[in-house]
Amino acid sequence: MESLLDFAGGPLFRLTFALMVLGLLRIFVLDLWGMFEAYRKAGDKKFPWSQTIRRTIVWLLPVKKIPNSRPFYSIISILFHLGMIIVPIFLYAHVHLWKNSLGVGWITLPQKTADTLTLMVMALGLALLLGRFFDKNAAFISRKQDFLWPVLILIPFITGYVCSNVALPPKTYRYFMLAHVLSAESIFVLIPFTKIAHMVLLPFSQFVSQLAWRFPPETDEAVCSTLGKKGAPV
Amino acid sequence: MKISKITNEEKARAFATMKKPEVMEKQKLPVRYHVEDYDPTDRPRRFLEAFAAILKHSNYRFALDHYIRISAKCSRCATQCQVLLATGDSHDVPCYRSELLLSVYRRHFTMAGLIRGRLTNDAGLTDEKISEMAESFYNCTACRRCVNECPAGIDHGLITHLARYILSEIGIAPRALVVSVREQLEGKTGNTSAIPVPALIDTLDFLEEDMKQEKGVDIKFPRDVVDCDYIFFPAVSDYLMEAESLMGIAAVFAATNDSWTIGTGYYDGINYGLFYSDRMLERIVKKVDRETRRLRAKNILIGECGHASRSAKYFIPTYCGGENAPPVLNIIEYTYRALQDGRIRLNPDVIVDRVAYHDPCNIARQSWIIEQPREILKSFCKNYVEMTPNRENNICCGGGGGTVSIDEIRPYRTLVGGKAKAEQIKAAGCRYLVAPCANCKKQLRELVEDQGIDCEVVGLHDLIYKAIVFD
Repeated sequence: MESLLDFAGGPLFRLTFALMVLGLLRIFVLDLWGMFEAYRKAGDKKFPWSQTIRRTIVWLLPVKKIPNSRPFYSIISILFHLGMIIVPIFLYAHVHLWKNSLGVGWITLPQKTADTLTLMVMALGLALLLGRFFDKNAAFISRKQDFLWPVLILIPFITGYVCSNVALPPKTYRYFMLAHVLSAESIFVLIPFTKIAHMVLLPFSQFVSQLAWRFPPETDEAVCSTLGKKGAPV
Repeated sequence: MKISKITNEEKARAFATMKKPEVMEKQKLPVRYHVEDYDPTDRPRRFLEAFAAILKHSNYRFALDHYIRISAKCSRCATQCQVLLATGDSHDVPCYRSELLLSVYRRHFTMAGLIRGRLTNDAGLTDEKISEMAESFYNCTACRRCVNECPAGIDHGLITHLARYILSEIGIAPRALVVSVREQLEGKTGNTSAIPVPALIDTLDFLEEDMKQEKGVDIKFPRDVVDCDYIFFPAVSDYLMEAESLMGIAAVFAATNDSWTIGTGYYDGINYGLFYSDRMLERIVKKVDRETRRLRAKNILIGECGHASRSAKYFIPTYCGGENAPPVLNIIEYTYRALQDGRIRLNPDVIVDRVAYHDPCNIARQSWIIEQPREILKSFCKNYVEMTPNRENNICCGGGGGTVSIDEIRPYRTLVGGKAKAEQIKAAGCRYLVAPCANCKKQLRELVEDQGIDCEVVGLHDLIYKAIVFD
């Protein structure tokens, strides 16, 4: 058990974290390359930079958008995202681990704040999951991953909270810690291949949708030729 | 925005079809709009071939890759779609509609999809799915209101646009649109309303006489004048149906004295290619460009028409020379500038009834023409009111995306697509509803008629014509 935990916290962590970074880097580069290519081929090179940058900023911190659509859900979602990003990065225990292995540390959250945020993430995650189940339209369009992601995200938060706040027998503690580490590592591996890829792709979205309307010139003949429709009437 | 759902009786009327069952069976297409005879065999293979050809020669691929990676299915778009709000049917959630096409892309055009398909023995695209797409992508009015509320930035309007393009390549497109485009590109008259040049000349002469009588000054519709500042392309149907809009525009030019012309070689701003085929879109904007160059006009001026303006503004640079393409502007921009410069005078005592403004999606959604028409109206209409939501977040008239031209689906347009708009108009309590778009005008007139709303739908220049003053 001890060695399994060491393995999960050591080599497996390094592997899964590297897979996440490389996977995200891959789609980041592919997305960026796609945009460059689209712009290069576009017949109209004029691009509404300021409008697109403005829209991107609005959506990266979408407070302004709250009243427009499903406000209650939007507030829950924004707080959930904030907690989910802040806690793992600034938790003292995590920063301490980074400092020990890489020698680099950064500011940390007071334990009480981290605990409160963790409880908030758990409650909000559950609310989002229930919302998905009980909102007719949301349930209808959801895929398996849309239901599974909140559950998977909640595991490291619940186990982490228990480990740092409940006096557990050492064996039970190790089980919880193993579940904490393995669930987090599963998340790392899955991120680049699922919708959570939006953590790196979101800043591109408004640019992609603007660029996608900028078509290459002279496609009529090319498409006709490929489909064997040259000279065919309308 | 909350609106009441349609009743079961309204639903039955809206979704009733006039098509013969044997035609639907023969075409393997249970949709309400008419489709010209096409080959319905082997549709999935042909759909995928068309999809592949379009991907090969277009810029869609990178966007689809981005969308399938980022789509989070949050359903925020569900509160924006006026069709969904009226039907309450989850099949109308914009994200579900988009997924119809995105799932085909994921399954057949990505490595992961191909491998998964092989491993799970998934046969892939089916005939049923093609039929569902043919129905769904024409229930959408392509108004793109949902786009502004998608946290992932997915342009559901772009996906509707692409899906319709692919469908059209296998022969599935509303007959109303195809027939118009055929006349425009291959017909004798060369325009969507099949107006021959002599009829156009007669109409213009007649309108000039009318204006002389009504305004007491010579107001002209110049024809085939070379080297003008502006060459004018309205929706050609305006020559049949929107005399007051045209007279208002001519009156503005009479006041400013700028040089403008109508080209008798080509005089149609309509571009249904925007609604169902990029290939047609390209061919049609090239006709506009050719006529502009023939008469050596400096600017392309589009009349009161949302989709015509968007087609020209965004796709003339695309298909006709990029930076070297002639500049495009909408008549509202021109009139606004003239008003600001003090070159036109509008009598503020003529229009005293309540006036509201409807934002056409194709000029408002991207924040292109928003405040100019409002400023013009407020300058001479004493009782101007706003409908909410408005501007970039406006509600579609219910006939967007070319659906207004499909007469056989009028009950759907006025009971479902236009329901939210009808409630907005009722709440505004206006006498005049200003809609500077040929498609919106037709749809809104049918909407107020079918929904029993007492209000007159007019163009912006209709009111300007009433109020313009000459020295």
